[in-house]
Amino acid sequence: MKIRNVFLSLFIIGLSWSCSNDDNGEVHEPMGDYANGILVSNEGPFSNGTGTVSFISEDLSVVNNGIFKSTNDEDLGNVVQSIGFSGEEAFIVANVSNNINVVNRYTFEKIASITEGLNNPRYFIEANGKGYVTNWGDTADDTDDYVAIINLQNYTVEGIISVVLGPEAILSKGDMVYVAHQGAWGQNNKVSVINTTSNEVVKTLTVGDVPNSMQLDASGNLWVLASGKPAYTEDETAGVLSKINTSTNEVDTNFDFEITEHPGKLNLDGSTLYYYLGGSVYKHNLSGTSLDRESALDDVSFYTMVVNNGRLYGTDAGDYASNGTIAVYDLSTELALETFTVGIIPGGIYFN
Amino acid sequence: MEKKQIFLFFLGLLAFAQFFGQSDSVIVLDEVILSDAKLRHFSKGTKVRAINDSVQQKSGSSLTDVLRYNSNIYFKENGYGMVSSASFRGTNAQQTAVVWNGININSQLTGQTDFNTLIPGNYGDVVVRSGGGSVQYGSGAVGGTILLNDSFEFNDGWKNSLRTSYGSYNTSKLAYNTSIGKEKTSFQIGINHIASENDYKYLGTDRRNENGAYDHINVNANFGYVLSDRQIIKVFHNTFSGDRDFSGTLTAPADEKYRDLNHRSLLELSSFNEFKIARLKVGHLYERYRYFQNKQRDEFSFGKANTVLANYDYKYQLEKITLNGIIDFSAVWAKGTSIEEANRNLISGTFLFSHDLSDKLNYGLNLRKEVVSDYDSPFLFSLNSSFRAANIYAINMNASKNYRVPTFNDLYWEGAGASGNLEVLPETSWQLELGQTLEVKNSALSLNVYSITTDNLIQWRPNDQGVWMAMNVQDVSQYGMELGFDWKKKWGNQEMVLESEYAFTKSIDNTTNNQLLYVPEHVFRSNLAYQYKKLAAYYQFLYNGQVYTTTDNSDSLPGYIIGNMGLDYHWPNISGIKFILGIKVNNLFNKNYQNVAYRPMPNRNFQLQLITKF
Repeated sequence: MKIRNVFLSLFIIGLSWSCSNDDNGEVHEPMGDYANGILVSNEGPFSNGTGTVSFISEDLSVVNNGIFKSTNDEDLGNVVQSIGFSGEEAFIVANVSNNINVVNRYTFEKIASITEGLNNPRYFIEANGKGYVTNWGDTADDTDDYVAIINLQNYTVEGIISVVLGPEAILSKGDMVYVAHQGAWGQNNKVSVINTTSNEVVKTLTVGDVPNSMQLDASGNLWVLASGKPAYTEDETAGVLSKINTSTNEVDTNFDFEITEHPGKLNLDGSTLYYYLGGSVYKHNLSGTSLDRESALDDVSFYTMVVNNGRLYGTDAGDYASNGTIAVYDLSTELALETFTVGIIPGGIYFN
Repeated sequence: MEKKQIFLFFLGLLAFAQFFGQSDSVIVLDEVILSDAKLRHFSKGTKVRAINDSVQQKSGSSLTDVLRYNSNIYFKENGYGMVSSASFRGTNAQQTAVVWNGININSQLTGQTDFNTLIPGNYGDVVVRSGGGSVQYGSGAVGGTILLNDSFEFNDGWKNSLRTSYGSYNTSKLAYNTSIGKEKTSFQIGINHIASENDYKYLGTDRRNENGAYDHINVNANFGYVLSDRQIIKVFHNTFSGDRDFSGTLTAPADEKYRDLNHRSLLELSSFNEFKIARLKVGHLYERYRYFQNKQRDEFSFGKANTVLANYDYKYQLEKITLNGIIDFSAVWAKGTSIEEANRNLISGTFLFSHDLSDKLNYGLNLRKEVVSDYDSPFLFSLNSSFRAANIYAINMNASKNYRVPTFNDLYWEGAGASGNLEVLPETSWQLELGQTLEVKNSALSLNVYSITTDNLIQWRPNDQGVWMAMNVQDVSQYGMELGFDWKKKWGNQEMVLESEYAFTKSIDNTTNNQLLYVPEHVFRSNLAYQYKKLAAYYQFLYNGQVYTTTDNSDSLPGYIIGNMGLDYHWPNISGIKFILGIKVNNLFNKNYQNVAYRPMPNRNFQLQLITKF
């Protein structure tokens, strides 16, 4: 144990990993039990209980479930919505418990927990030396939604930025933070642009209804996928894929789906966007001038999915009251390589 | 400080008990006379058990408390006093019917009854009828039926009873009951008020049940008038108004609040002679809930339903044969935040037949068919027989087809990410039961085995678009065994009564063969009461086996043992006034336990009670 700690302190210095460059084939010395692999956040049962985090080794040979509990002997909290990262720290967001547990992403040892200043927290991103967390606020109040600013030295909420209804997915580019407003329990159609030097919303863009996921491409375009309003709203609208130029913060192109099509789970791998729609995964080339509609995988059903280096990782929540599974597909052969049992309602997939 | 004093008081009482010499004790358990014809004549071959008044009074403030220690029903309580749903013989919350004076009062919105919104003590009797009873009692009588009946006393003078109680967590109870029975009229009114901060300690943590306070008011009022020696008119009314904060879990705080309001009214006109009883009932049921997600705010969501019902019941006695025909009409209107005006009309015809072939052998056949405006209802039947093979030994058997209908939520819900489904079918259930009883002078032994198969279980699951919908997704089976042992003995000025039961329950998903959620395989409970002169002591024991909390049986809650103990002193009459002073210790062993995961139940707690009868 001691030796591992020594290794750890050595390696922590000066290392800066991010999601996009951590599986480039370099061999790293182990920095912790959970380095080099896949983290899966499991929401856990909705009404009572705790979410969990599972780890799958990079070579797909080992699965460890409940790694936060086994490391720290405590529960993460109710409905683990997502995990965000900052350096070697992971921020695990539990939205019903209104807390964020901060851990070392490789050892999963707890560093801190943030329990004040959050109200229905959803997603975390780091930008400009701060953490930014989308919060729905009280769901009965459409006007109290905000982005919490997290001080990454003392792990407290040091300020908030009020935003329009239902902030959900969040990502950063330079000093700018982009927030997709899915609409909480209702629907919205906005993307907020926050300048982190002033911590102000500098622009609010209109995109399709119910924007659920975003990706940033290498040329600096922000891609926002909106699912459209579902049929039960009795005002069904089509899904829209929007391409936003981040230097002007203007919508460049909108790609419209059919009115009954409600796509989601936008991913980017190389120069191809992937999304899920009605039992299939489709591809769209970044340079495409219309929706390509080329299917990458058929007859599947995913609670969440992530595409990374030619592989697709898709989860199945089963009956939502038992342990779910994650399947790993090779997109070149469209075959599942492995399937693992993880925790209850696996809702997030991340790469360590 | 408060608790310390109560504890001291308890110590004092213990010493007092010691002084009287190892006195533990029992109160004579009066036999309950079944007031319901469906129970008396058409449930032979079925396991029926009445819980008498003194047991009800001892058992705490809700029907959950009473039944947890006096039946083998498993209760899922979202923290003490919060929403409580029953699992009877391994079935789910919608598969236990609660019947008030012959009327099924399960919620039209949820299909279940929250057992923490029924206050015992003012009902004449509480009867637990195990097994299928849909022919007699309608939707949900699958695992079993709980019957709450009011009785009328004529020529009984004026009686009053006042119960006051105070205990841990600032729990106070006040119950007043008065009844006047004259030659031709009978009037009874009972009022209960129960309030508690309910901020019990979560054992093993430094936290408390922060948001669990409740405040309930219950009124029962009944009036009977003898019109002639062949006619009687009865009016029943019950109002319950409950205000609860909903407690959180070990991992999430809560600031929710929930308000219940129920009105139940029934007018019954019966006319009878030596051979027949004809009854006309007209009733109205009102249920309403208001859910405040954040109790600091004014916004709430609500649901309400009005039921108007009329029922004509004609029973005819033909020597050894009893015949009963019933026609029911009911109309239900429901409305809520997530239900636009929806309504349902129902007509049902029921035919009940019971035949005593000899003094020893009886059999019965019961049939029911409904026509309902918004779904197809199956034809239901039950067959039952009881055979007293020897003076001390009887065999009972029954077979039945039962159902649980889709609720208004199942059919009409419209909300964010969730939707009712008009295509959903009623659940149908087939069951078989064999029972045996052996009774000798002071003891009784009973053994029941049963099997239930339910098709088209209604559950909420996400559809292809991720919208949660009611669907008929599962077929499940239950089978089990119940072994009961009762014993009583009286000698000198002492009496002892033991009542205990072990239940083995398998409740499985037919596809996966896994045990269903929150069904303990093993439950053992025992009540021991002992009386020495005017001092009575009782002990309630419950072993509740492990329950699974995930459908793949990957996670579970451990089993637990709970013991409660109480001591009552019956004061000598003081100018015609009777006083009973009692103390009860709940969770004597201070056990940390949960019956729903992450929702701890109370630590050891105390309750003092004074009953005055005049």
